[in-house]
Amino acid sequence: MRARVALLGFCALPVLAGLGGIAFPAMGWFPPLGRDGFSLAPLQGFLAQPGLWDSLWLSLMTALLSTFLAYWLAMLLLAFLHHEGRGGWIFRLISPLLSVPHITVAVGFLFLLQPSGWLLRLISPWLTGWVRPPDFHLVPDLYGMALVIGLLAKELPFLLLMGLAALSQIPVRAHLDRAAGLGYGALAGWFYVIQPQLSERLRMPVLIVLVFAVSVVDMAVVLAPSTPPPLAVRILEWYRDSDLDFQFIAAVGAVVQLGLAAVAGGIWFVGGALMLRGVKALSARGVRFRVDVWFARLGRRMLLTLGVLPCLLSLAGGVAICIWSVADVWRFPSALPQDWGLRAWSVGGGGLHIPTFNSLYLGLSASALSVVLAILWLENQPKQAARRWESIIYVPLLLPQASFLFGLQILLIFLGLDGAFLTLLWAHSLFVFPYVMLSLGASWRRFDRRYSDVGMTLGKGAMARFFHIKLPMLMVPILTAFAVGFAVSIALYLPTIFASNGRFITLTTESVVLASSASRQALGVASVMQMALPLLVFLGCDLYMRWRGRRFDYFRHG
Amino acid sequence: MSFSSIISRGIKLIIVLLIAVLLIFVGFKFIHRGHHHEEHKVAFNAWGGSPAINEYIAWAGARLKDKHHITLEHVKLNETADAITRILAEKASGKTAGGSVDLIWVNGENFAKMKREGLLRADAWAFELPNFEYTNADKLPGIITDFGTPTDGLESPWGRAQLVFGYDSAHLPEPPRSAAALAAWIKANPGRFSYPKPPDFTGTSFLKQILLETTPNRAQFMQPADSVDSETALAPLWAWLDEVHPHLWRGGRAFPANYTALVQLLGDGEIAIAMAFNPTEFSNGIAQGILPDSVRSYIHDAGTLANVHFVAIPFNANAPHAAMKVANFLLSPKAQLRKADSDIWGDPTVLDMDALPDKIRKKFSELPRGVATLAESDLGKTIAEPHPSWVGVIESAWTRRYGVQ
Repeated sequence: MRARVALLGFCALPVLAGLGGIAFPAMGWFPPLGRDGFSLAPLQGFLAQPGLWDSLWLSLMTALLSTFLAYWLAMLLLAFLHHEGRGGWIFRLISPLLSVPHITVAVGFLFLLQPSGWLLRLISPWLTGWVRPPDFHLVPDLYGMALVIGLLAKELPFLLLMGLAALSQIPVRAHLDRAAGLGYGALAGWFYVIQPQLSERLRMPVLIVLVFAVSVVDMAVVLAPSTPPPLAVRILEWYRDSDLDFQFIAAVGAVVQLGLAAVAGGIWFVGGALMLRGVKALSARGVRFRVDVWFARLGRRMLLTLGVLPCLLSLAGGVAICIWSVADVWRFPSALPQDWGLRAWSVGGGGLHIPTFNSLYLGLSASALSVVLAILWLENQPKQAARRWESIIYVPLLLPQASFLFGLQILLIFLGLDGAFLTLLWAHSLFVFPYVMLSLGASWRRFDRRYSDVGMTLGKGAMARFFHIKLPMLMVPILTAFAVGFAVSIALYLPTIFASNGRFITLTTESVVLASSASRQALGVASVMQMALPLLVFLGCDLYMRWRGRRFDYFRHG
Repeated sequence: MSFSSIISRGIKLIIVLLIAVLLIFVGFKFIHRGHHHEEHKVAFNAWGGSPAINEYIAWAGARLKDKHHITLEHVKLNETADAITRILAEKASGKTAGGSVDLIWVNGENFAKMKREGLLRADAWAFELPNFEYTNADKLPGIITDFGTPTDGLESPWGRAQLVFGYDSAHLPEPPRSAAALAAWIKANPGRFSYPKPPDFTGTSFLKQILLETTPNRAQFMQPADSVDSETALAPLWAWLDEVHPHLWRGGRAFPANYTALVQLLGDGEIAIAMAFNPTEFSNGIAQGILPDSVRSYIHDAGTLANVHFVAIPFNANAPHAAMKVANFLLSPKAQLRKADSDIWGDPTVLDMDALPDKIRKKFSELPRGVATLAESDLGKTIAEPHPSWVGVIESAWTRRYGVQ
């Protein structure tokens, strides 16, 4: 019990403190910066910012559109592929994307799709006739579509994975058979019976995705329009302004972002409720959606293309990143570099080994800490009633990051704790822990207690049962959760910036700086490292499990 | 719950926590942390967007480690304002010692602001540095007056800069050498010109350059902005921008983030003219393979903006004496020579050649000048920087007019 309370404090306290840390400055009261009277000046200053409504609209629109597309593509893919039972390849294609940081996907898009990008290099000048890049708004475009596609590429795999996990808790076969008995085809049955159950179970993952999209900064810096940029980027700009008044305007911005996330969530749920009523009305009328086979086949093809396209773009972007990292000279419109070489690795290596080490160390310790905490939490939580409290650990994911991190940082400066490594580790764990729980929780709870009971009948104590039976049997999900946690940590941008007060450089913060400079080679190297590290951790865990699993081979084959 | 299970549960908890704590502290020793309380570590806050400059700073760090046992930590900034905000916040919360910044790369408006807000170490330490002997303020007044603000020894000169334009001679035989000619060229060649988005330093400098070339009364900009009717004073600049903006790269609706991104666009052939606040930038670009070797540089006939950049020590620096040693090293003939080498960075020296020993003067004169670097005589014409208060006025007006569309 006490451990649980401590854990809740671990997750909830910084969030509460952070919200306080923006609420008061937003009202003009913050003695540490020499303001000790409440006033409306910050609000007025905020409202006087040029292009404010454009920024708000851009944030709201990109968040809703990307979440909508990611969600429905994921749902339709699940419906089709589950039905056909042979979609394994698409999951294999998509799942590596889960471990690639957002900023790396964005950089890949940039390298691939901007007017001087690889795609146009491949078809110029023989097809297009261009010897110089055309003057197009491609990436970033004027309407935020590049950002929408970038977010889509990252969120679709996440929602697919969450959907698969949710499906395993629904007796799909039995429900569909019953629907089929009433004359509903596989797809109609799916949308009347399975989809509503699925959407209920996916409520939280969708909300996480939506809120993340409202508050995303690193991807937006690279892919979103800049005249004006979305709200999240502007909050960071205000926060960085050397005029102290802007600190207060940034605080108002953070409060507004909280409101914006609430509005986005509201729109999403109203839309979902309307949709559910529609489904109910249709099912009440017994509409069975008979369509021609060829039409269904066509729909399926289009859907697969739509679902796979953002992932293919990311993959091609990853290839472009790798090429840039070993290109000494690569000028438009050559399809491949004129001079290959490792100059960026030797030169950039001098500057990049610190961020690489920092990312690795921070990721490993945050992930290890979170896995240990998650195991403690799950082991000490026998009763169903206590599960209600569990949602508190997801709060950091359900609030826009800037909203409380900004306030948290002000308080950390006040307390003199900013920039300390432990503070940073804590901030990272706030975001890593919930994902580790998402990854580990279900398997942990599915563990068959009878194995432990057998151990008990053999006279083993609680310790021995835990370390010799439960832990080894759950090693696969534990290591998976560890790798997931590492991938989350290595991608974090705002938490790193705020908790370390800009003084702790990781590959992600370095990439954001490099993304707006001349050296595509150095950016390529940083991005390669960012793709490689989580992949190596996943591979390491996998290899370890294979090695551990060898001793069971006898039983399998013998 | 039985006694033994409580015990075992407790042990379990302790073991698991111990492992976690161990993991955290083992690596803790090796981590490059933010906080540093030893005197020999210097947190140098400097813009980090240029690989050439970063590499030079890394070289300085290695030399300082060998010679003075000083660990130079380059805190790479997106914008210098980031660090100033941090120092301001530290001052406001009463942190008068052990601050996070030991040495900061500044000049102009940022220096004026730090001086005004009392964020700088208040003794005239920069004049006391041994290597300050090699400078000559009579020949280069910019060494003691930074954008019109007296330095009072609060900052130590590091390098010299002048706004220079670069163009690809393969596509553009003869570049436009004045604001008026540039406007005409932009209109005739839509989509082939851009400038970094203000408040980027180079972008704002370009605006000042155009302003000083188009204004009928240059003297008024030497006054503080609030002593002049800024609406009227800035009107020629807005007229020039209104004229060319529809014909800029991306229709003037997107801008590169800084000069390195701008130079990359020149290398890609997206634009035909770029600018940088460093006379050797374009030779560097050729050497690094970013630019084709047909790129050359030029300045406007009326001259271009020129200034000196500095390093300063905040009032609450954690290691001020080590920071002074760093500043002195950066000013040393050896470090200045390497900095002036266009294969390394190509930032002109602030030292007076006549004050140097013959051997070193010879080395300076033997430095290779890149193909795209103008001769010292061609760079002769300079325009003095306007009063620093104009920067904020120009930037906020620009953002209102062109930053949101």
